[in-house]
Amino acid sequence: MAVARPMRRTSPITFILAAFLAFGFLVFLLSPSPSAATTTNADSSQQRREGAAENPLSPPTKPFLKSQPVRDDGYQAPPPVVHYNLNSLTSTSESAVKGERVLILTPLARFYQGFWDNVVKLSYPHELISIGFIVPNTKDGNTAVAALEEAIGKTQSGPVDSRFASVSILRQDFDPPLQSQDEKERHKLENQKKRRESMSRARNSLLFTTLGPDTSWVLWLDSDIVESPHSLIQDLTAHNAPVIVPNCYQRYYNNDKKKWDVRPYDFNSWIDSGSAQSLAESMGPDDILLEGYAELPTYRTLMAYLANTDDPNPKRVMELDGVGGTALMVKADVHRDGAMFPPFPFYHLVETEGFAKMAKRLGYQAFGLPDYFVYHFNE
Amino acid sequence: MNRHHAFTNGYAAYPRGHGSTFSISPHRFQPRPQPALRRRKQLIQRLFLIGGVSLLLLVLIFPSWRAALLPVVSLGLLSSGEDTQIQTVRYYDLSAVQGTGNGWEKGERVLMCTPLRDASSHLPMFFSHLRNMTYPHHLIDLAFLVSDSKDDTLGMLNRMLEELQTDSDPKMPYGEISVIQKDFGQKVTQDVESRHGFAAQAGRRKLMAQARNWLLSATLRPTHSWVYWRDADVETAPFTIIEDLMRHDKDVIVPNVWRPLPDWLGGEQPYDLNSWQESETALALAETLDEDAVIVEGYAEYATWRPHLAYLRDPYGDPDMEMELDGVGGVSILAKAKVFRSGVHFPAFSFEKHAETEAFGKMAKRMGFSVVGLPHYTIWHLYEPSVDDLRHMEEMEEERKAREKEESEQAERSARVNNLFRDIKPESEADNAIIRDNMQTEKDELTASENPKKPEAGKAEEATAQKPPKVPGQEDQKASDSWKSKDLKDAEEVPAIKPAKEQAGVAHDE
Repeated sequence: MAVARPMRRTSPITFILAAFLAFGFLVFLLSPSPSAATTTNADSSQQRREGAAENPLSPPTKPFLKSQPVRDDGYQAPPPVVHYNLNSLTSTSESAVKGERVLILTPLARFYQGFWDNVVKLSYPHELISIGFIVPNTKDGNTAVAALEEAIGKTQSGPVDSRFASVSILRQDFDPPLQSQDEKERHKLENQKKRRESMSRARNSLLFTTLGPDTSWVLWLDSDIVESPHSLIQDLTAHNAPVIVPNCYQRYYNNDKKKWDVRPYDFNSWIDSGSAQSLAESMGPDDILLEGYAELPTYRTLMAYLANTDDPNPKRVMELDGVGGTALMVKADVHRDGAMFPPFPFYHLVETEGFAKMAKRLGYQAFGLPDYFVYHFNE
Repeated sequence: MNRHHAFTNGYAAYPRGHGSTFSISPHRFQPRPQPALRRRKQLIQRLFLIGGVSLLLLVLIFPSWRAALLPVVSLGLLSSGEDTQIQTVRYYDLSAVQGTGNGWEKGERVLMCTPLRDASSHLPMFFSHLRNMTYPHHLIDLAFLVSDSKDDTLGMLNRMLEELQTDSDPKMPYGEISVIQKDFGQKVTQDVESRHGFAAQAGRRKLMAQARNWLLSATLRPTHSWVYWRDADVETAPFTIIEDLMRHDKDVIVPNVWRPLPDWLGGEQPYDLNSWQESETALALAETLDEDAVIVEGYAEYATWRPHLAYLRDPYGDPDMEMELDGVGGVSILAKAKVFRSGVHFPAFSFEKHAETEAFGKMAKRMGFSVVGLPHYTIWHLYEPSVDDLRHMEEMEEERKAREKEESEQAERSARVNNLFRDIKPESEADNAIIRDNMQTEKDELTASENPKKPEAGKAEEATAQKPPKVPGQEDQKASDSWKSKDLKDAEEVPAIKPAKEQAGVAHDE
């Protein structure tokens, strides 16, 4: 018996078979399974690796390699000369197919798990998504950042496919004028101007430091948007509009009907009216027009009320003069040309409404999707 | 690979001991682990070899599997490889990058932005400035925008940047370096005349503003405390300029910009007229203009009567003196990054009837930032002659040529005159001298007529009578030479005639 084994083992056929088996084994181990999960995994992994910047001194929209090269003389190698050809940067209706990078920007006051879960569920390739947050430097902000970092940590160490290209967390360098984030206090007219001016500065700080040279689209998403279609990015970019805004609604329990219902939430998306313009003309240079206040009867056409909730046509588009910022898709070029959120009365408008006006001054038209809904958190 | 060293019955394949086949020495059944072990080892080696080769093949055939292969080969130990190699989460506190008056001590990062177009001729000068900057280089991030360039600006920039970053001096390399390419379809050509023509200004300024915004938005990072805008065509500036401007701790600060001129234009001139204080006249003028109009400074079309930073310069004034401004020029601006973070940019539309850097100053003011200029701290812009200047220079050149031509003609004429109408005074004097001599000899002869030497004097007279006709005939060089040698003895004016002859010779050569 001990004699026979060497005979069998030494047959050349065995080696061929072994090689074949080994090869087959490896193929089985590594082959992309038809369920395609592994394919995208491998592709995206590679894409991530190639997309990573060599040096920490790089655009925040890029991850960077932790290990740094060292020069021959022992000094750390200086950052490389990096070229960005912005001529080849596109923002088209086939954003996902062309691999256009999207930057999701969120001014964060409170962290809602629902918000993050919704973002993670977005079906746009995650390796093309970078996210930026700006959080006030307050106690509430610290709590929010702690929760946010935990959620990010889970996602970024989870399955490769659901990891985002990069996440930047910024702490604001100025105090928000209003300490209370309470709904009622927040919406008082006299507080609104200060609040929205501070909000504008936060948005601009976030935008101009994280935009970077690779971004094709910027999606502004408020931290209290807890529900949106998973194809939100694809759907909004499909219209190929410089500025486009879906309708922001809120789910609530309707006590009259005894069931869950929806109601409009964001009233900042509107078409201008003559009375609003004459109202603006009568104002001082530092006064602003706000929507949704009895003191300021603007009679503007509000997109929030134009929705057809019974038989929605999500593809319906309308031109707008003012936009809301709860969810807002902007071509990066619009921001690059200088369209920002005015922290001062710009044609008596501030923040997102002023942004729409500034975009218009730069030659970009804003659009709205009255039947395409995202849902605001209900407190 | 001798597999037949033993028979199946267990006997050795070859005789052992004393040639006896049936020797039953105790060594007979000694196990032979060596070959077996070796075989197993070989097998394992072969398996590994095959595995390696097939892996290699896989990697070669399917490059996209590389990412999947790595964790498999490392048996999952490195499966979280991305976590250890790639950092995806960044955290920044913007309150740490506010910008202070002594940023170089606190390690504050500066973003230096330079828009370039057809600037290859300025690059060597610009890089010599860069190399000499005293602000710690590793704290400065460089950002370039190359747009609509027809020359080799990009290639040249690359070479010089690579050279800068690989410099052996560890203090030389800069921080992050971004080179942005973006063409805006510049309709206006870049020559000085069309660039500074009034009609083209508004459109040109808007395009410039757009370019500046693209550059800034692509390169501003949450780590920057300051942003320094610097044009490539600055000829002379202090190497300490960043520190000098930073020391004032203002939100936006600009130096005075002049340019040197050729002497015939007065030696120097204010260059950047975009730094000014607002005036009532200008505000009233702005009221009358329509929404898209752009007021540009330095043109007669808009008389604004604004106090300009440039005109307030005193070469011996205190360089630290500050002046409040409303509009600023873009040649050299130092601004805190928080200005740009809060949204101030270079409006590419008419903002309060201004565009680009002037509107930048206005917008910064609108948001409550301090905008300041230094009237007595001057940097010098490169002098590029304008079309008028070029025309004038051409005229001057022609004038100079005409003058030279005239002079040379004059010289030629005088030489010719000299040649044709030679000053015969020395010759005549020589003749006179000869005649005097002759007369003297005649006198002598007369006095010596009593003496018996008559035939000799007659001979001499014959000789002098023969020579005078030859004097004007200067073709006979030998004759004149002989005359000269004779003159040397007799006439004192000889040196005067020599230069005249030489000059004539030169004129002839020409």
